[in-house]
Amino acid sequence: MSYDNLTALLSLPVMETWMFYVLSALAICLGVGVLHDRVVIRSGFILIGVFGTIAGFFLLLSAQFLAMAQIMIYAVAITLVVVIALMLTNPRLEAERTAEPDDDNMPAMAKFFASCKRNMTLWISAFSFITLYVAISGENRWPVAGLPVAKDQVKVIGEALTTTYSIPFEFSSVLLLAALMGAIMIAKNEPLHDPDEEPKKAIEDSKTQENNLALTR
Amino acid sequence: MITQQQSVVAPNALKPKTTKLGINLAIAYSVFAAAVVGTFAGKSFAPNGFELVVANHYDLWFCVGLALVGWVFRSVGGHKGAIITMTILSCFIILTLNQGQLVRYLSLSALLFSMGMYGMGQSRNAVRVLISIELMLNAVNLNLIAFSRYVDPIQLKGQLFAIFVLTVAAAEAAVGLAIVLQLYRNTSTVDMNRFNLLKW
Repeated sequence: MSYDNLTALLSLPVMETWMFYVLSALAICLGVGVLHDRVVIRSGFILIGVFGTIAGFFLLLSAQFLAMAQIMIYAVAITLVVVIALMLTNPRLEAERTAEPDDDNMPAMAKFFASCKRNMTLWISAFSFITLYVAISGENRWPVAGLPVAKDQVKVIGEALTTTYSIPFEFSSVLLLAALMGAIMIAKNEPLHDPDEEPKKAIEDSKTQENNLALTR
Repeated sequence: MITQQQSVVAPNALKPKTTKLGINLAIAYSVFAAAVVGTFAGKSFAPNGFELVVANHYDLWFCVGLALVGWVFRSVGGHKGAIITMTILSCFIILTLNQGQLVRYLSLSALLFSMGMYGMGQSRNAVRVLISIELMLNAVNLNLIAFSRYVDPIQLKGQLFAIFVLTVAAAEAAVGLAIVLQLYRNTSTVDMNRFNLLKW
């Protein structure tokens, strides 16, 4: 099957809906796995799957260049950096959070409020999702243009990056260079004391001791 | 799947576990109920939205079936993550099945963003916080590319913004993980609750 046939097949509404739901089920399951898995390094490897499914979404949205960039930058580079950082640190936490004992004598409302307090982040994120959804949904809220996708997307992106967005492009390269150097500087394991300072300090100490001895005499 | 056959034998040992699981399950199902309420609230903005939902109630039945499967998991003593995943998935499907294509992508990215927000607030490992931030940045990228596909398919401004977001995310990952490494060297822990260096 050639590539044009594949894009024509994917542009069918039924096919796109099915692909969307399959990919979104994968993305949600893997995302829950990333957040819920107790072993941090396993969640770091599940992250590759999340990024891969999001690259699949980009292909579904016919953004081939960004799908490849997503796989190269996120699914390989960033996940590799995360896994290396996990190997260099010790992900074993000292003590698990002591579960607050559920008092059976507590009234139901107090229990409910205690669980609310414990799961505050869950409530905040669920509320933010519902708010976002109510803001997003509804018909005719977005000016959807029924135009077909441009054939030469990479050409459009390249021209825009070198003409209209050339200054942010250059700034982003400077930012990447600065971030790289800063990361190396921060992560470099430098000793706390300069090794040259030690003998000097010893000599000064002996001098002050001699002076003290001379003063006491 | 973790089954709790041993704890069924000893009913006294079962009790605290069931209350905790019950609280978690109550939270999951209340989120589910809030999502159902939210879908009706969202549909009510549109003309004839409620009738549309009632007319095509196959998605409602699908959702009820998923909730029943979750209940069966719970009665077997199933894994908590499976129940949560099923709840989120059923919420997502019921919320987006009747929507347009752009709204589907936008709500998926909103879901991924809130999941990343939850992980950022809840997890104690600093590296997992960074992973959650990466998830949030990915959700933003998905949002931008959906906009560039459906709203602006000629000039592709959304994809250009996504390229810059990708660049900033790479820089952020490198610097953030270097900071985590240095913190680990100084405090020999990656626990977020123990990073109290700036405490007065």
